[in-house]
Amino acid sequence: MTIAPGVTTTKGEAISLVSVGKTYQTATGALPALVDVNLDIRAGEFVALVGPSGCGKSTLLKIIAGLIPFETGMVSVGGEKPKEGRRDIGFMLQQSVLMPWLDVKENVALPFRIARDSGPHVGARVDQLLELVGLSHAASMRPWELSGGMQQRVALARALALDPGVMLMDEPFSALDEFKREHLNIEVAHMADTIGKTTILVTHSISEAVLMSDRVIALGVNPGRVVGDITIDLERPRSSDMVSGKRFQELSNEVRDALAIGMTGEAK
Amino acid sequence: MTSNMTAPSTEQITIAHDDQQKRTGMLERTSVRIALPLLVLLFFVLALQTLSVMGVLNPITFPSPLDVFAALGDLITKGYFWEATWITLQETLLGFAFGAGAGLVIGALTGTFKTFRVALYPFIVAFQNTPRVALAPVFLTWFGFGMESKVVMAAVICFFPVVINTVAGIAGVDENAKTLFRSLGATKTQAFFRLTLPSAAAIAFAGVKTALTLALLGAIVAEFVGASEGLGVLIKELNFQLEVAMGFAVVITLAIIGLVLYGLIELAEKKLITWVRD
Repeated sequence: MTIAPGVTTTKGEAISLVSVGKTYQTATGALPALVDVNLDIRAGEFVALVGPSGCGKSTLLKIIAGLIPFETGMVSVGGEKPKEGRRDIGFMLQQSVLMPWLDVKENVALPFRIARDSGPHVGARVDQLLELVGLSHAASMRPWELSGGMQQRVALARALALDPGVMLMDEPFSALDEFKREHLNIEVAHMADTIGKTTILVTHSISEAVLMSDRVIALGVNPGRVVGDITIDLERPRSSDMVSGKRFQELSNEVRDALAIGMTGEAK
Repeated sequence: MTSNMTAPSTEQITIAHDDQQKRTGMLERTSVRIALPLLVLLFFVLALQTLSVMGVLNPITFPSPLDVFAALGDLITKGYFWEATWITLQETLLGFAFGAGAGLVIGALTGTFKTFRVALYPFIVAFQNTPRVALAPVFLTWFGFGMESKVVMAAVICFFPVVINTVAGIAGVDENAKTLFRSLGATKTQAFFRLTLPSAAAIAFAGVKTALTLALLGAIVAEFVGASEGLGVLIKELNFQLEVAMGFAVVITLAIIGLVLYGLIELAEKKLITWVRD
């Protein structure tokens, strides 16, 4: 993936969470999903949220995106409260969620259509993004004609369409096979190096988290909380060779240990 | 317990798989897809003709296929036949337009707004499970012997599958897509027109297809109950006169009308909903 000139101009924004708490009301009573989450993410930083199912990592991402409310604490993205539809936040889901009635180009342009922006720059911007994700040749193809990996690239281009300062990615590669997943991990890590957006990646995979991010936040369960904050000091650009390296293994073990603490219920 | 069966070799499995693929491939050919049902039809026509010639079937109550085709040939030269066909076609298409149109609107409102769903859906389900043809005499009383009572019957009978399918289509909109639209700040109107409507279109259209054939049924039933013109009236009169071959010829005409309408609606579906794969 090469960065075409002018593809991204907006740099990352800082994110801050102070004592954030979220409780879901279920049929059997209140279920605390997140308790006292404190996080400071620097502008341009790539942070991975790792943890077992039910630790609240997707909930945390949706709180930052302004998609769900929270009861306690304070959240700030670029100095402002989160809310739905902020143009400076790009959101990418586990599934590519492409509209089958639109072709690839129209799918990437969807955020502009919803923002009622139909200016002449839209076409050029979509072309740039398709070049960025290596899909210029597939511009007029329909989603069902694409492989899973290509579909996720389209979703990535769509998330970057409005040139957001913050990219939120909710397990975007989990539906892909191991080979495609590692390939896209490296490509997105390289892209993040270059475009300098603040990125939060939610993942189950320890190696994916270590390979891509500057920092791994480990979350524990019952209730969801931060149990580890590990700085990833691997040099950039990242490569798949690093996975077999000694430092990579040490960092992975550090994350694993933090998650093991999270499973036993002892908060850091 | 022992078995004489031996496991097939990889080569045998590959050959069997290839044979199956060839058969499936052949069935995909348009010529085969037309010829095969025509062969089945030909078989039944020949079987009935043979039974008639052998005297197994009573020629007065069960005329031979050749007699029915001759009656059809005779019928299409009569002006009253084309007048009746035109009346029934109008009743069907008007009933379909009103019924399916109302079904789409009420279905969209019921599927989108919870208030509508809570207030209306129990009645829709209750009516869906009621034999609606039972209302034909009531409509006759309300709207008279003219075309109106037939149009209303056709509309009522084809309204429900459209409502039910539209509601189901809207309920089936992908939750992830809804989350995506919210993250993009889409208004409810944008989400409806850019996500809900196209997502629900395929299932709603399946209801529309069913509705078109039901509209023809509704029009004919209403004509049976009370009318002065139309193909339903013609069938009744021909049967009273023991012109059973002519009666069958009208039934064949109805089948052809049904097939043509279904073909047209399928064509419209293919043109409008291009993103649904077989």
